[in-house]
Amino acid sequence: MVTDTAKPVSVPGTEQPVPGTAPSRIGRFGRALLPGPAPGANGAALYRRWWLPWLWTAPAIVCAAVFGVFPFLNTLLLSFTDAKPLGGAASFVGWSNYTRMLEDSDFWLATRNSLLYALIVVPLMVLLPLLLAILVEKNLPGIGFFRSAFYTPVLASSVVVGLSWQWLLADEGLINTSLEKAHLIKDAIPFLSDSWLILFSAMGLTLWKGLGWYMIFYLAALGNVPKELHEAAAMDGAGAVRRFWHITVPGVRQAMMLVGTLTGIGSLRVFTEIYMLGSATGGPGGADRTLPFYIRDVGLDPLTGNAGYGSAVSVALFLLTLGLTLLAQRLTKEDES
Amino acid sequence: MRARRLTGSLACLVVLTLTAAGCGLSGGSDDGDATAGGCTVDKGNVGSGKLTGDVKGKITFQTTNLKKDFGDFFNGVIKDFEKAHPGASVKWIDDPGDATFTQRNVADAQGCTLPDVINLNAETATALTKNGYLLNLGVKDPSSGKPFVPAFWKSSTMKDPKGASVHTVFPWYTGGVLLTYNTDLLKKAGIDPDKPPTTMFGLFADYEKIAKSAKGKYYATMANPIWRIPADWDQMDIRTLSADGKTATFAEDPRTTEWVAWMAKLYKEGAMPKDSLSSSNDPSTPYSQGQVAYGSTNPSFVRFVKQNSPSVYAKTGVGQQPFDKLGHTTGAPQYIGVSATSKNAPTALSFAKFLTNAENQTAWCKDPSVVIFPTTTTSLDDPFFQNATGDDAFAQSRKLVAEQLKTATAYQTVISPAVQKAIVSQVQLAMQGKKSPEQAVKDAQEKANELLKQGG
Repeated sequence: MVTDTAKPVSVPGTEQPVPGTAPSRIGRFGRALLPGPAPGANGAALYRRWWLPWLWTAPAIVCAAVFGVFPFLNTLLLSFTDAKPLGGAASFVGWSNYTRMLEDSDFWLATRNSLLYALIVVPLMVLLPLLLAILVEKNLPGIGFFRSAFYTPVLASSVVVGLSWQWLLADEGLINTSLEKAHLIKDAIPFLSDSWLILFSAMGLTLWKGLGWYMIFYLAALGNVPKELHEAAAMDGAGAVRRFWHITVPGVRQAMMLVGTLTGIGSLRVFTEIYMLGSATGGPGGADRTLPFYIRDVGLDPLTGNAGYGSAVSVALFLLTLGLTLLAQRLTKEDES
Repeated sequence: MRARRLTGSLACLVVLTLTAAGCGLSGGSDDGDATAGGCTVDKGNVGSGKLTGDVKGKITFQTTNLKKDFGDFFNGVIKDFEKAHPGASVKWIDDPGDATFTQRNVADAQGCTLPDVINLNAETATALTKNGYLLNLGVKDPSSGKPFVPAFWKSSTMKDPKGASVHTVFPWYTGGVLLTYNTDLLKKAGIDPDKPPTTMFGLFADYEKIAKSAKGKYYATMANPIWRIPADWDQMDIRTLSADGKTATFAEDPRTTEWVAWMAKLYKEGAMPKDSLSSSNDPSTPYSQGQVAYGSTNPSFVRFVKQNSPSVYAKTGVGQQPFDKLGHTTGAPQYIGVSATSKNAPTALSFAKFLTNAENQTAWCKDPSVVIFPTTTTSLDDPFFQNATGDDAFAQSRKLVAEQLKTATAYQTVISPAVQKAIVSQVQLAMQGKKSPEQAVKDAQEKANELLKQGG
């Protein structure tokens, strides 16, 4: 091993600032605080202590354990009990919560709604923000206004957005009144009283609120697509659509995967939109309830909720989310290979 | 290698789960101490025998969102109590009463730290009594019910952990219930505003008249049945639940199906806005805008209209709530409970009685900034409530409620939100014509029973 013996070697605890080196790199206890050029053999040994990585990652690990792992394990545990908020000690009930779940028509209805939500929202949320990003990518005069306008719904509170949509979609709301005035419809479209229309309206709300957010993702990704490729393809006679599919889409593929995964998880967890448009019952007859809505109904009532059953449904939602995410990854990998 | 790592991870998961199982499911103390709701408490707080002890020491008193408007009143009550009992001190906590109010109370109960004296609604009081967290006032101080209107006190009972009816709360104040309506819209439909109906179906018949005359320009009321279940059924003396509260019985009364059939008919005929079927909006705003004929059934609502919509207030009339088969109204009061886990239960009980006595109830209910009514006999006999003057709707509403409270009871059916939603959902389907009323009522009862069986 060749070492540069001409350079001063620092010994832990005895270091003195060396002229020409940055004093801020040496800590109060004489230890290197920042990675820098060749801290010397002993400094390197310090970095190799087995516990050092654990020390640096401990805060994150503790947070993850307290706010992620423990609640998850607790939910898993509760799903095998008859736990209630005020019922005293819970008892193990085996698989009965899961058996009940499989026989529960309301659970299957909520699962159908959640899956439908994901199947419709995810492809649209992957594609539409990309098109929006392409539209606002060019540095044209006043483009900042459009970028801000598309991003504004992201900043608005979900409740405010939900109320605005209620006003828009009401029987005497802006949309129905406009269509009636234009003699396009005779009777109001029942956006807020038909269970299918409530569900589709809620999807529209999710899309409208999320477009700006994912547009930002795509703007960053589009910056990494070499302009020369577009220029070369254009010179070879490729049109805009062809360049989009053969240059832009492969260039932002990683971002699309990320957006797909995030919106997939988000779609399965949708609650506020349904609550705002379908009210506390989740639409007439509870027909628009999604899985999180159903979990709230059966398990989270602070006085009488069935925490055991609610936990079982939560575990089912977790498995569904995990399964779909893994499936998406597998499909993407196969596609790449 | 991969398989080994997976096995290791799974093993860790199982160990952690079992560890958590050990933590979460250990329960119950077997050392013979007195317990209430799983908390170790002073022996005098539970079991038979009157509560004895000196009125001294610190207690906490929790209200719900009252400090902002009534801070001076409650500070005065606390000061008077502390003056009368020099060894006692009261710490006042005012919960904001937001969406997590119940969760906080449940967490306090589970942690054995419920406030000593606590303002409760019927749902929370029922749940806390069912799990043994409140002092049995009927046993610990049998004469404590004397100041209250007899019907109110008699009906202010909840089921204890064994299913027995016990007095664990004092009825504190009530808002009353009455009909509020736009007299112009009623007259257009040929309804005499001075002769309000005396039955629920009579009221529905008036709704139908309004639907026919309005032709979609305005409505009688809002559609969501969540505002009416189980209050309407209580008024009609339909038994929503069995006496022990463990099964649903409403489907056994043919009037329930008739009620649902009326709702479906009214919805179809346009007595209610179609988009209000599952909306959380109550009639307050559309009434103030002249879009619905009947407003909220709360006397405070009359004041709301007076302040926010003077032109509609000028047309507003009030009428007695249809007594129907029940023969009187249900007051649905706010309650005051004493925690069974209190370390100074004699002081807490003494303060609860002081707070709800006739003098303090009368003083508070006379406050011009509230429209509430007292629950003690002496307070209701006060000329302020008996001799309400004036012809305006606000004065009339005070008079009507004071009159109804002489015979009112506190009893109201308390069902969990899950059970309520299960019933409401089926009624909504019937209103949309997706189910017959008979089928909807049958299915609603089945769903309610499933939930009740699970402890809902």
